[in-house]
Amino acid sequence: MPNQSGRSRLSVRSRSEQATPLLLAALALFAISAHAAEVIPPKPGTYFNDYAGVVSKEAASRFNEQLAQFERETSNQVVVAVFPKMQSDSDIADYTQRVAQAWGVGQKERRNGVVLFVFIQDRKMFIQVGYGLEGALPDATAFDITERHIKPLFRAGNYEAGLATGIDLICKAIRGEYKGSGKTIADRKGGGGAISGLLPFIIFVFVLFILSRLFRKLGGYSYSSRGGGPVFIPSGGGWSSSSGNGGGFSGFSGGGGSFGGGGAGSSW
Amino acid sequence: MNKFALGCGIVVAVLIFIVVVAALAIGGSYNRLVRLQQAVDQSWAQVQNVYQRRADLIPNLVNTVSGAANFEKSTLVDVTNARASVGRVQTQLDPNKAPTDAAQLEQFQAAQGQLSNALSRLLVVVERYPELKANQNFLSLQAQLEGTENRISVERGNFNQTVQDYNVAVRSFPTNLIAGMLGFPPRPFFTAQPGAEKPPPVQFNFSSPAPAPAATTTP
Repeated sequence: MPNQSGRSRLSVRSRSEQATPLLLAALALFAISAHAAEVIPPKPGTYFNDYAGVVSKEAASRFNEQLAQFERETSNQVVVAVFPKMQSDSDIADYTQRVAQAWGVGQKERRNGVVLFVFIQDRKMFIQVGYGLEGALPDATAFDITERHIKPLFRAGNYEAGLATGIDLICKAIRGEYKGSGKTIADRKGGGGAISGLLPFIIFVFVLFILSRLFRKLGGYSYSSRGGGPVFIPSGGGWSSSSGNGGGFSGFSGGGGSFGGGGAGSSW
Repeated sequence: MNKFALGCGIVVAVLIFIVVVAALAIGGSYNRLVRLQQAVDQSWAQVQNVYQRRADLIPNLVNTVSGAANFEKSTLVDVTNARASVGRVQTQLDPNKAPTDAAQLEQFQAAQGQLSNALSRLLVVVERYPELKANQNFLSLQAQLEGTENRISVERGNFNQTVQDYNVAVRSFPTNLIAGMLGFPPRPFFTAQPGAEKPPPVQFNFSSPAPAPAATTTP
């Protein structure tokens, strides 16, 4: 009986096996073309993400805790992402909208996410505001924050103070809009956001591994030509968050919020 | 006799089965088409919202700008005229339903494009008026206008996506048979106008002269 079910699954598998090289080729092509045009960075695991290494570890974890606490109190998700360089040819407003949307910052129904993007080498920043906060943080206010409060500090090379001011002002503007439940999404999911975000992927790899073992035992197929099995790991553009994750005890997990292009930015 | 009755029974059973399956398939497809169509109409409403938002900003913008000493009047007239023609096109459209006629959408797009051009010309002219560039009210309006252009590009993108989903459903077999029977025509979508893939360049950096082009020249 188990043998029979195994065989029937095997036949299904064999068909998908034939498709796999094609699929892989298509994926690789897509990855290459997407890389040439634009890279959407992977979802961050913390609220404060310094991929460019411009603030100290202590400050990074302080900001992170501040933003996690802010979500507990207000349910608003505010994420800060500092990148060395923009990986797109698009306008910063377009690109950061796509990234914020892909990250799903904010609660799904309230759509109350805000992401402050900073690109150090481009000397540009942008505050993306989710649909649900466009009233509390209108473009003019966002522009005021970047232009008149963050920019002078960035110009002076004081990134830490600039980011601190930006975070404070964003939080101040959107504080009264919604009430929090005392827990973040990552809290509710249990465990850190980084781990729970990876969990489906780990399960997927595990299942693939078991399946490949199973089929090799049954003698139908071997992966010997390809080695490790069809594991496709999306690369996030080549840098890792150095100090951002360091000491950040509160993980971030996006709630599926959406962005409509609200917000403003400046260059310094 | 018995055999005949049995045969009849089987035929009837098969017929009923076919009818039920067909009805389920048609019902399922129909519901899916309705859902997709609703998504299109909804995203169209969003598109109109953001365009409306831009139109609402214009009187305030024109007032603020015309307050500047001897401001070039012709650009202001262009903006006001373009806004009026957008209004005329808009009244011909059903606000709750995305346009089904490609020409209608094209007209709408042309009118909005004209307004975009007039606005970007206005903002270029503003560069020559330092008193405006120091005016808080104007700066705030400019940030709002810029944000509105971003929203427009986002909502246009969303609209095109929902139209594409709908059109794929309408055109693919076997849904296309049902779509044809029940009146679900393919919908037109926004096309990129020459030179209009990007929102008009309303991003100005007043305090530091021309820092932007460096980004494009990096290898």
